[in-house]
Amino acid sequence: MDTSSQLRSGTVISASSLIGPATILVALGVIVPLLFLLRYSFNEYDPRLLMVEAFTPANYVDFFTDPYFLGAFFTTVRISVVCTLACILLGFPLAYVLARTQSRFKNLMIIAVVIPLFVGNAVRAAGWMTLLGSQGFLSVTLMDLGITSTMTEIMFSETAVVIGIIAVNLPYMVLTLQSVLESVNRNLEEAAFSLGAPPLTMFRRVLWPLSMPGIAAGTILTFILAMNAYATPVLLGGPEFRMLAPLVYGQFQMNNWPLAAAIAFVLMATTLLLTVVASLVTRQGFRN
Amino acid sequence: MSTVRRAPREALRTRTRRRRLGSIVLNGVALIAFLYILTPLVFVTWLSFYLQSIPSYPPQGYSLRWYSQAATNQQFIDAFVLSAQLGVIATAIGLLLALPAALGLVRVRFRGRALVSNILLMPLIVPGIVLGFALYVFQVEIEIRSGLPVIGSFWGLVWGHVLLTIPWIVRLIVASLEGMDRAQEEAAMNLGANRFTTFRRITVPAILPGVVAGALFGFVSSFGNLEMSLFLVGPGRTTLPISILQYLQWRIDPTIAAVSVIQIVIVVAAMLFTDRFVKISRVV
Repeated sequence: MDTSSQLRSGTVISASSLIGPATILVALGVIVPLLFLLRYSFNEYDPRLLMVEAFTPANYVDFFTDPYFLGAFFTTVRISVVCTLACILLGFPLAYVLARTQSRFKNLMIIAVVIPLFVGNAVRAAGWMTLLGSQGFLSVTLMDLGITSTMTEIMFSETAVVIGIIAVNLPYMVLTLQSVLESVNRNLEEAAFSLGAPPLTMFRRVLWPLSMPGIAAGTILTFILAMNAYATPVLLGGPEFRMLAPLVYGQFQMNNWPLAAAIAFVLMATTLLLTVVASLVTRQGFRN
Repeated sequence: MSTVRRAPREALRTRTRRRRLGSIVLNGVALIAFLYILTPLVFVTWLSFYLQSIPSYPPQGYSLRWYSQAATNQQFIDAFVLSAQLGVIATAIGLLLALPAALGLVRVRFRGRALVSNILLMPLIVPGIVLGFALYVFQVEIEIRSGLPVIGSFWGLVWGHVLLTIPWIVRLIVASLEGMDRAQEEAAMNLGANRFTTFRRITVPAILPGVVAGALFGFVSSFGNLEMSLFLVGPGRTTLPISILQYLQWRIDPTIAAVSVIQIVIVVAAMLFTDRFVKISRVV
């Protein structure tokens, strides 16, 4: 029996009274504020008066003509691409093993992957600081083993930020891929093997195409997260390191709200644009 | 004759060898990825037990004193209390709003259903920094227009955190409603139960695991939120993630590691507790 017929005439009223409050709150908390922020990004900044009402593209022009901001822009995109690729390479095998394992510890292993997601990026950055600092475990161990003669300084560099962001995003990739791989029929793999396909061929011709929806979803998710990373670049990159999300907050603190708003929208627009490109590319790959 | 017979056997052997090599590489990379995810948590936990106050390896010994140091630091206690209050209040309000919304989304077919469900998931999709800034700007506009003290207020912060909990609660309750057998409800109604009794005796127990899981995920995502809170906290008020960030910008030592471990323990406990109601592997 159809659900809606049971609810008879009250359908419209009951639907809106059930869904209305949450939807209105979210719309008022997300969409309307974003529109205000968009409006702010066209205002003018005056060092004395702070924000002046105007309608000018000056903040966007400033952003794209200043080498300082452009540098931050390209650093952010570069780091996001590198981290996303690394997440696919590392995440796929782990997702596959988690999806296929018969172990009774499977659920515990998945919880171990989920927990870091909720622990907070600052806490995880603290872990990397302990490991990567100049007197940290890695540096001292390398010296003890005679591999290096001086202290290894990885902290406060792009490398440290990349290491940190990969660790933050990897669980998202693994969980997204795992849920898709669970539904890939194992017999298809066995069929490829029994027809004589080597593992790599099986992977390329069977597993990879079938897991494409998961790869697309995981890539988009990790890419968005990398583009918008805040705590990791602030703590592992140090005060001189520039990525877009810290830049938004920095300009906000310096009271240049119009510019901060413009950077926020450049960040959102770039993320959206590259996400669309990524989903088109993966869909194309899916078709082939 | 013999060469003909040997050839397939040899091919089979190569194939088995290749498969074994493939599975070693696969499991090896999987193990590396798994350890990679857990590495930062292991090292921050290790640091919290160091004897000396600087994070230099190797430790000169081990001690528990940083935990008592962390537990008596007034700044961290205040931040912890604020984060816990925020999490509880935001989750309670989030449940009140999201439970009916989830019911409406699953049980009522209406036009624009996909749109509404996308709107409800928006707080998860819009970047925290952008959302926090936008919400702050909006609160400034409200305060200018109405004169109400919204900026930097506790309830302004709660508003933001409610937004964070709604997507999780909706998602998890929708999942459990979709997995539920409607025939039980119909049976109850056939046996003479009215709609309210059916809801109370059949629907609520069936979706309770989803409600509990949604509430815990909502709480944990509010408790751990950093980016949005940065914009919404008023002067003299910090949440736990913000105070951890600010401390780490200044220095790293076993005290902050102990604070971090306390946070990790809370999250682990929440996850294991949730897992008793809903298998986490099915809901994330």
